[in-house]
Amino acid sequence: MGALGWILGLLLSPWVFVPLIYPGLVSAFAVLLFIIWFERKLAAKVQRRFGPYYVLRHLGGATQLVADLIRYLFAEPIIPEEADALAFVMGPALLFGLTLLPVVAIPVSGTFYAIRSDVSLLIVLALLTLGAAMTLIIGWAGNNKFSLIGGLREGFLSMAYEIPLFVAALSMAAAYGTLDLVDMVEVQAETAWGVALNPLAAFVFLVISFLATSRFPFEISEAESELVMGPFTEYSGIMYGLTMGASYLKYYVLCLLFSIMFLGGWEPVPPQLAAVPFGPGVVVFAKALALMALGVFLRAVYPRYRVDQAIRLAWHYLLPLSVASVFVSMGAAWLGLTGA
Amino acid sequence: MSGAGSGERTLELLIGPQHPASGHMRLVAEVDGDVVVRLRPDIGYVHRTVEKIAETKTYLQTIPLIERPPLADTANHNLGYVMAVERLLGVEAPPRAQWLRTLLAEMNRIHSHLYGLGIHGIMLGSSTAFMWAFGDREIMIEMAKRLTGARITYSYMIPGGVRRDLPPGFAEEMEKALRYLERRLPDYDRIFFSNPVTRARLEGVGVLTREDAIRLGVVGPNLRASGVAYDVRRARPYAAYPELDFQVVTRSEGDSMARMLVRVGEIRESIRMIRQILARMPDGPILAERYAKMIPPKWRDYVRETGRIKFPAILASLRPPKGAEAVSRVEAARGEAVFYLVSDGGPRPYRMRMVTPSLRNVVLFSHLTRGCRVADIPAIYGSLDYFPPEADR
Amino acid sequence: MGGVEEVGGRGGRNPVVSLWGHLKAVGTGLKYLIAVPRMTVKYPDEVIELPDGYRGMLIYHQDLCISCGLCATICPANAIKMYLPSGGGGGEGGGEKPETPPKRHPGIDYARCIFCGFCVDICPTGALEHSKVHDAAYERVEDMLYRPEEFAAGPPTVEFERPPKRLRPVMDERRGISYEPVG
Ligand code: SF4
Ligand code: SF4
Repeated sequence: MGALGWILGLLLSPWVFVPLIYPGLVSAFAVLLFIIWFERKLAAKVQRRFGPYYVLRHLGGATQLVADLIRYLFAEPIIPEEADALAFVMGPALLFGLTLLPVVAIPVSGTFYAIRSDVSLLIVLALLTLGAAMTLIIGWAGNNKFSLIGGLREGFLSMAYEIPLFVAALSMAAAYGTLDLVDMVEVQAETAWGVALNPLAAFVFLVISFLATSRFPFEISEAESELVMGPFTEYSGIMYGLTMGASYLKYYVLCLLFSIMFLGGWEPVPPQLAAVPFGPGVVVFAKALALMALGVFLRAVYPRYRVDQAIRLAWHYLLPLSVASVFVSMGAAWLGLTGA
Repeated sequence: MSGAGSGERTLELLIGPQHPASGHMRLVAEVDGDVVVRLRPDIGYVHRTVEKIAETKTYLQTIPLIERPPLADTANHNLGYVMAVERLLGVEAPPRAQWLRTLLAEMNRIHSHLYGLGIHGIMLGSSTAFMWAFGDREIMIEMAKRLTGARITYSYMIPGGVRRDLPPGFAEEMEKALRYLERRLPDYDRIFFSNPVTRARLEGVGVLTREDAIRLGVVGPNLRASGVAYDVRRARPYAAYPELDFQVVTRSEGDSMARMLVRVGEIRESIRMIRQILARMPDGPILAERYAKMIPPKWRDYVRETGRIKFPAILASLRPPKGAEAVSRVEAARGEAVFYLVSDGGPRPYRMRMVTPSLRNVVLFSHLTRGCRVADIPAIYGSLDYFPPEADR
Repeated sequence: MGGVEEVGGRGGRNPVVSLWGHLKAVGTGLKYLIAVPRMTVKYPDEVIELPDGYRGMLIYHQDLCISCGLCATICPANAIKMYLPSGGGGGEGGGEKPETPPKRHPGIDYARCIFCGFCVDICPTGALEHSKVHDAAYERVEDMLYRPEEFAAGPPTVEFERPPKRLRPVMDERRGISYEPVG
């Protein structure tokens, strides 16, 4: 009993709970299994089909992704002879790991977090940029022209979206007068949600989160009809599974961040959850998941842009808009809307 | 890696034949960064010696063979071939048969255009356009199934007429199907044709000027999208087309968007034509008297009651006069199809020539892709509604 | 010859037109997400009834057959060949002139048949007919060859794990095809 209690205590301690359970690995996996299934179901419904169906028929094929995962696990991972084996094998794992890393700085509630820092927003944003570099390496490692082009596309795109992403996020910091995510939620609780204070920043941030995670209409670096599977063309088995999961994971992290910055984070906390230390996290999770559902729904609506069009969109429209959003924030702060 | 004389700047990209969007062919692209310097279509992967095999089959047996390469668009090629055979034999199908042929040809045009639009959709990344189009083509497949007994390879038109008359209730069911399609097209428009992303991908991409279209001998919707109102149905009317009121859909822009919209316009025209056909179809026999009278007497009642032809034995060994030659042209869904037949008096063609629209449009690959972006390759490919087996035959 | 210009709005790069286009696209997506019924059927739990006259696998009535061999002559895929009663050679296509009794009878190779129905239409006695079976599956390609006796035993029966619901397709203005349960 003592040992069990000790393990439980360890698990529930924030610096283990956050990276491992929520919002870390376990919940991230659950999100992956759910959202990919849900994406397929949404697209299927719009396309007047059923989508996954036969794996657990009575729940609409809900375990389809588990079946897929098992299949990936047992499929032979093929390493092409000409590939740079080390980079090829390490790539997916690093990509997956690095993409998940930013969650350590994301607070679960006002009192439950692994890292509380004055600059936690900057930490999250900085860690978020690491994944793109891995995609570049992966694209190069496979020694395939399509991978190479896909990796380069990802590189160009990340150059184009990182700046407006930072500016839009920092404009919220200007509005709230803090770079601490916990404080941001508290400011929102006192005033209004970020999406109301600065809808422009929210819009830019949202569009960029589609752009940064290969959601339609920006599914550009994988672009099946052009590049087969882009940087991940040569992958098979679980290594492919990891690369595919990584973009969803990044989207998950961005959605968590969006919920905290723009959707009031864990506020309002339902009283039933307030007692549990990480209870408010459920609210953030729900908001993030709803946001993710929106993003995956777009698959059923859009074709994909060309890479140069997406880059132009980022530099010509999103960057100026993000700068404008800084002024919106300043205006909101000046009017005293933010309480800062 | 690099083409001769272009130094080390360019990269040769082999798109296909194992590629999600190459179809049964290979596109050899030479790219400089994201810009295509040159693109060469490498065709022939699905060449099936149709012309040679035709020399070993009897005239009737060649019909299913003709239908295979242009899949989706089977009826129009069936019609073209049968018209050539009839010219060799000097028979003519009775009016009702002509109207039934036109009916199936237009149903098939809708089917084929939806097929092409769906493929174009998935090439641009719109899985919804793909699924919708492939789902809705089922409407025309279902109706054709009731008329002919088969889903896609109908082998419906035979020398001298057609094999089956309209089944009961066909016109009413078809009217519902057409109304449904008309309701659906605006939704396609909202989610795909007018989707700003689709427009960004297609407008001004792969522009084919009127002069080039004529010079390169392009056919079909690809030609009409460049402002040339050439359509065999209007230029050399056949079957029931002289009596139908329809418009030759053209656009002037000549870009990928224009090519797609011409097909959409043609779907609307085909819907109009099917309505007219079903309203005004003449009564009468569906097989030329010359063959109808050879149907064994015990089957006459059966044929009259069911509307299904029983073949007279002569169809198994039609022998056109020695030295006879015939050419026929039809406007197939993807463009003008030409058939040329020579008889040596035997039961098999001495020579059969089949010129399909895709064969004539393949030239556009290298012409339209010069200087385009890598991502434009599938956008242009899809807009051409090019079907490799049809070109390779 | 008179051509018409299809008219259709092209907003170019006008941001207002573009925004409106995005809204319409997303709105249409939502409409289909919520309000438009599906078009697929759940084969093999639901099976679509085939119409009368469907050109399915063949039924051979040996008692009617006069061994004329027309079916083998016309078959474009050489799927039908005339066979001597069991044991004998056969496989010689055509069989226009069976020299001596015993007579030859048609057998069919479904690995070759393309379901054109020419054989059915030319059979002078009605010995050949289409069934509505079209979804048989074979484990070995040799099993697809039916010699006359097997041919006469009829097309294979399709077995389903669960008894399927039979549906009849009916055209519907709103849904395209609606599937009505049969029987
Ligand atoms: S249906 Fe056609 S292919 Fe099949 S056996 Fe009869 S004639 Fe031959
Ligand atoms: S099945 Fe019909 S066509 Fe074939 S041999 Fe018998 S009678 Fe003749």
